[in-house]
Amino acid sequence: MKKKVAQKVLGLSASVLLAGSFSLANAETIKIAIAGPQTGDVAQYGDMQVIGAEMAVEQINAAGGVNGDKIEAIRYDDACEPKQAVAVANKIVNDGIKFVVGHLCSGSTQPASDVYEDEGILAISPASTNPEITQRGYKMIFRTIGLDSHQGPTAGRYIADKIKPSKVAVIHDKQQYGEGIATAVKKTLEEKGVNVALFEGVNKGDKDFSPLIAKLQKEKVDFVYYGGYHPELGQMLRQAAEKGFKAKFMGPEGVGNKDISQIAGDASEGLLVTLPPAFDQRPENKDLVQAFKDKSEDPSGAFVMTSYAAVKVIADAVAATKSQDTDAIQEYLRSHTFKTPMGEISFDDKGDLKGFDFEVYTWHADGSKSSVN
Amino acid sequence: MLEVTLYFVQQLINGITIGSTYALIAIGYTMVYGIIGMINFAHGEVYMIGTYIAFMAITGLSMLGIEFLPIVFAVALISSMLVSSTFGLAIERVAYRPLRGGNRLIPLISAIGMSFFLQNYVRISQGARDIAMPSVVTGGWNFGPEHGFQASISYMQIIIFIATFISMTALTLFISRSRLGRACRATAQDLKMAGLLGINTNNVIAATFVIGAALAAVAGTLLGMYYGVANAYIGFLAGLKAFTAAVLGGIGSLPGAMLGGLILGISESMTAAYFSTEYKDVVSFGLLVLILLFKPTGILGKPEVEKI
Repeated sequence: MKKKVAQKVLGLSASVLLAGSFSLANAETIKIAIAGPQTGDVAQYGDMQVIGAEMAVEQINAAGGVNGDKIEAIRYDDACEPKQAVAVANKIVNDGIKFVVGHLCSGSTQPASDVYEDEGILAISPASTNPEITQRGYKMIFRTIGLDSHQGPTAGRYIADKIKPSKVAVIHDKQQYGEGIATAVKKTLEEKGVNVALFEGVNKGDKDFSPLIAKLQKEKVDFVYYGGYHPELGQMLRQAAEKGFKAKFMGPEGVGNKDISQIAGDASEGLLVTLPPAFDQRPENKDLVQAFKDKSEDPSGAFVMTSYAAVKVIADAVAATKSQDTDAIQEYLRSHTFKTPMGEISFDDKGDLKGFDFEVYTWHADGSKSSVN
Repeated sequence: MLEVTLYFVQQLINGITIGSTYALIAIGYTMVYGIIGMINFAHGEVYMIGTYIAFMAITGLSMLGIEFLPIVFAVALISSMLVSSTFGLAIERVAYRPLRGGNRLIPLISAIGMSFFLQNYVRISQGARDIAMPSVVTGGWNFGPEHGFQASISYMQIIIFIATFISMTALTLFISRSRLGRACRATAQDLKMAGLLGINTNNVIAATFVIGAALAAVAGTLLGMYYGVANAYIGFLAGLKAFTAAVLGGIGSLPGAMLGGLILGISESMTAAYFSTEYKDVVSFGLLVLILLFKPTGILGKPEVEKI
């Protein structure tokens, strides 16, 4: 008798489970993977990506979703490591997800994009700026940010035309992103006739830069460009201040994050940074900025709006093509214009944004920034 | 000429600063190896925990409004040494003692496991993000011509020298003069014989783990204040460098660990100074290979005598 009851209970729960899975399958969801560093030393950029992308998902869902379907955002952590990025990419394939907003670090995006291209997964990076990523003729890889081949010259021109230093050192972290942009800056400076006295790599994760700083002091360098991320530059600024080395420093968007002020303190005052334009200060984004503030999130991060835009672009394309067929969507992306918080954006054949430019900002010790113009 | 000399002196100062902290951590490796002939791969993690505790102490004190430097420094140092020593003791009890006497490879694996455990424990309990802290000690002395290259030594570097010097002297005195130190030396010479002569070798081994951990905590506090950032993974690289220093100087030898640390630090800073920063690790590990080729026991290491 007992056995029968048990069987019945089991059967019942099984049917409930079945019903559950049916109802899930019926309400079609559009899954978007948010892949970026959620741990590790550059996790702050992952935060920017997550709050931007999740805000977009929330607002699109609140407005009725995409043709009635809801979007679901799923986070994946690559810790900004190329190896882990490939593992994450394979996991996204296995999870049957068709769209990726990511990755952030160029060194992660590059190997992961091979997987996405092979598997027909559409990936939009809101932050990877290394030119190489979209130069391989891939169909599925897009980005909602500019390229270091533009960012480098923007920085180089600013240094040559506005700062006019007598001796420049260009330092980089030997990573795809850091060395790429450092090389671009060096090229522009040399074309402009600026004296680049030193071009040198440091090891990522290094903390002691006192020998390097002494070298810069000896060479009487008065301007330092650093290609890389904030943990190393923060340490350099801090040690330079301790040693009384007074050159001006500049870095790409990978250093523009509040942690640099935490590490370097007052030494971060006056640092120059090239960043995407401050979309959060545009009047047309006032409501969106308020929505972030209501959730006590910070909309001023460099990659918040680019991540929002990446989700928006995917949602618009899915809505217009009425399918999740990534091949149709990539064609749609290349031939249409999208309305996003970054303004009207469109992609060229390579998957890069048309007409995107970086701007130069001055960083302040309290973690805020102001435009140099 | 003056500039060349000053530049050299500056790089020497930089090298000694970083080298003396390598030496502090290296002591832990070399002492444990000297006594039980095993490498404590969880030692770098003890250094990392030391840094975290120092950060907590300094932040806690500044929240209470106490910013008088000697007090801040003393509290940070003592609390970090206490907590790290406890971890050192626990590592010995959990990962080494139950496995002693078995195959040498087994404790090695359990130490690596311990290292992973501690990394992830700190990561979970303290968060996966880097923690940062503003400089507690700022400023320094400059010397050299008014216009031109000036060599400088920051107050933090001076503190690192002094603290390292005091720790090393205290350790040397302890090992050569105290009762427990004598027991340590006896145990290092012959574990079984020392036991037969009435030395509690279990306590001696535990004591070496504690001493090593306390010195790693000193290094953790000093470097934490110097760099102002920490995360759960800083122990790996620091441990690797310190281990290299210990092997370079001759593992098992205390003066060897000190010498090895200094050589490693100075060779790194000189490579960065006269060659290129990107090759500093290549040169220091190249140096290690060279020295081991010609003197396989390290600079001050004694050839191992087969114990019968």
